[in-house]
Amino acid sequence: MDTRLKQEQASIRKTPARKRSSSRDKGSLGERLFQIFNICFFIGMGLTTLIPFVNLIAKSFSSEAAVVSGSVNLFPIGFQIGTYRYVLQDILFIQSFRTSVIVTVLGTLLGLLFTTLTAYPLSKLRLRGRKWFLLYFIFTMLFSGGLIPTYLLMQELKLVNSIGVLFLPGMVNIFYLLLIKNYFEGLPESLEESAKIDGAGHLRILVSIVLPLSLPVLATIGLFFAVQYWNDYFAAMIYISNPEIKPLQLFLKEMLVASSNDFLKDRVDAALNTTPQSIQAASILLATLPILLVYPFLQKYFVKGVLIGSVKG
Amino acid sequence: MNRQQFWKTLWLDVRKDYSLYLLLIPGMLIVLLFKYTPMYGIVIAFKDFNIFDGYAASPWVGLKHFEKLFTSPDFLLVFRNTLIISVYKLVFLFPLPIIIALMLHELKQLLFKRVVQTIIYLPHFLSWVIVSGLFIDLLSTNGGLINKLLVSLGMEPIAFFLDTSVFRGLLVTSAGWKEVGWSTIVYLAAFATIDPQLYDAAKIDGAGKWKQLLHITLPGISSTIILMLILRLGSILEAGTEQILVMYNPTVYKVSDVIGTYVYRMGLGNQDYSFTTAVGLFESVIAFVLVITGNALSRKYLQRGIW
Repeated sequence: MDTRLKQEQASIRKTPARKRSSSRDKGSLGERLFQIFNICFFIGMGLTTLIPFVNLIAKSFSSEAAVVSGSVNLFPIGFQIGTYRYVLQDILFIQSFRTSVIVTVLGTLLGLLFTTLTAYPLSKLRLRGRKWFLLYFIFTMLFSGGLIPTYLLMQELKLVNSIGVLFLPGMVNIFYLLLIKNYFEGLPESLEESAKIDGAGHLRILVSIVLPLSLPVLATIGLFFAVQYWNDYFAAMIYISNPEIKPLQLFLKEMLVASSNDFLKDRVDAALNTTPQSIQAASILLATLPILLVYPFLQKYFVKGVLIGSVKG
Repeated sequence: MNRQQFWKTLWLDVRKDYSLYLLLIPGMLIVLLFKYTPMYGIVIAFKDFNIFDGYAASPWVGLKHFEKLFTSPDFLLVFRNTLIISVYKLVFLFPLPIIIALMLHELKQLLFKRVVQTIIYLPHFLSWVIVSGLFIDLLSTNGGLINKLLVSLGMEPIAFFLDTSVFRGLLVTSAGWKEVGWSTIVYLAAFATIDPQLYDAAKIDGAGKWKQLLHITLPGISSTIILMLILRLGSILEAGTEQILVMYNPTVYKVSDVIGTYVYRMGLGNQDYSFTTAVGLFESVIAFVLVITGNALSRKYLQRGIW
């Protein structure tokens, strides 16, 4: 299985070489026209993806008058940074940002810990009853109690309106568990055998041999977790009503839903040279910033993650 | 192997690997608590649940809530919306990544290709809240780029988020904007598994690009396409609850209220716990049957399952 992954990766690496040689072929007129169309298409698609951001950035830096008159397109008009100053001093924004950071960090750490711990024994083919244990976990991917019974459980556990409800239920993620398990299965058995002769227990083998060999997959899954927690608003919308512990995405959602902007009009000081629209824009961009900062890693590892996932046929 | 031997080897195996079983325990308890306990909670779909009596003491009512479900005009509307939105998404957004992946595959300028990929994967990593915010801004009737464009073309501005005739289109378009680029990855990976020699052989036989596409590329990724389709069909009743909950509003409930959003509003908003649990169970059971059937078919005909 692991060799198939390597083959796939190798053949991906190989593809460019083949392409380069074929680009020297002089294609027919039809083919060249297609190439031109193709390039235009992707320029269009790229712009369609980017323009909403550019527009939002422009609005967040534009003056009140320019935004209210609706004249801002792709460049700021009447440049100002007061909007950002306002957002970064807004106690609700700061609180929700802090909640999101806490949830993301704890959620990722606990998720990695428990998902990996569980994946390791399941990767041992000789484990008696392995099939049944796997079924026990996979079944929860296919069937669930649903929203209301889960909500009632959280209520009984006194987790409603506590920050724990945002990351405790996700400590074992079955999808990631299967990815990690598959990766572990591909590691050579001999390494562990030699450690066992030295008298090391399973936990020590896991920590000192298996985990160091699995850093790429752990990094991938760590990023999966982090993005998932950073972007989640749904759990908070269900369980959290206390404004002091609302995460950022929920804070933003409430800001958007009050899209008549009454929500903000009350809070924006009239003396500031900004508008609810700009504040919304700046808040959205600030919430996106962490994702953009890790995006280079995301792209690299997520593509790898998808490949690991697709290998298990 | 007789009974006695079975127990004996079981005991020996478990004793030998007891520490592996110990490692399994925390994960199993977490899943037991957060995933299996709510499954017990499903009993309230067959009871008139109220918080004070609890699960056990609330009176049984048999299939009352399911009868209500199948006769309630509310639910029929919601069910219809769910199917319509899901089918729109399936028809428009399922083929698109395949076509775009094929086009990406044909890009000869490698740097350009990599830049394009970097850009079009990005929206996948944004939350629905952010995406919704971007679209609200883009489609605003007060200075939104799209409406400015419409006006400059001599058309009337459209309040996309409040217009029942375009709102479903908006849901499909924004879902496409977010996920189409990212969805190409699976197919790009599938291309890489096609043997390059096939193309060389086809070229020698004089097959043009079009013939190569029809006879090598598409057959080469067909099992991936079918697998993705099965996965997609399994979630046909999940029309995008998280997306719709952020984007809809009472003006467009009529065309956009789906099972997930209905359960959320009626269950948590109106505290109609038993009825909405029945609605949720209906959805879970159908999804379960679809995925199991799909996986069985895929194993049989493609020798490739989801798990």
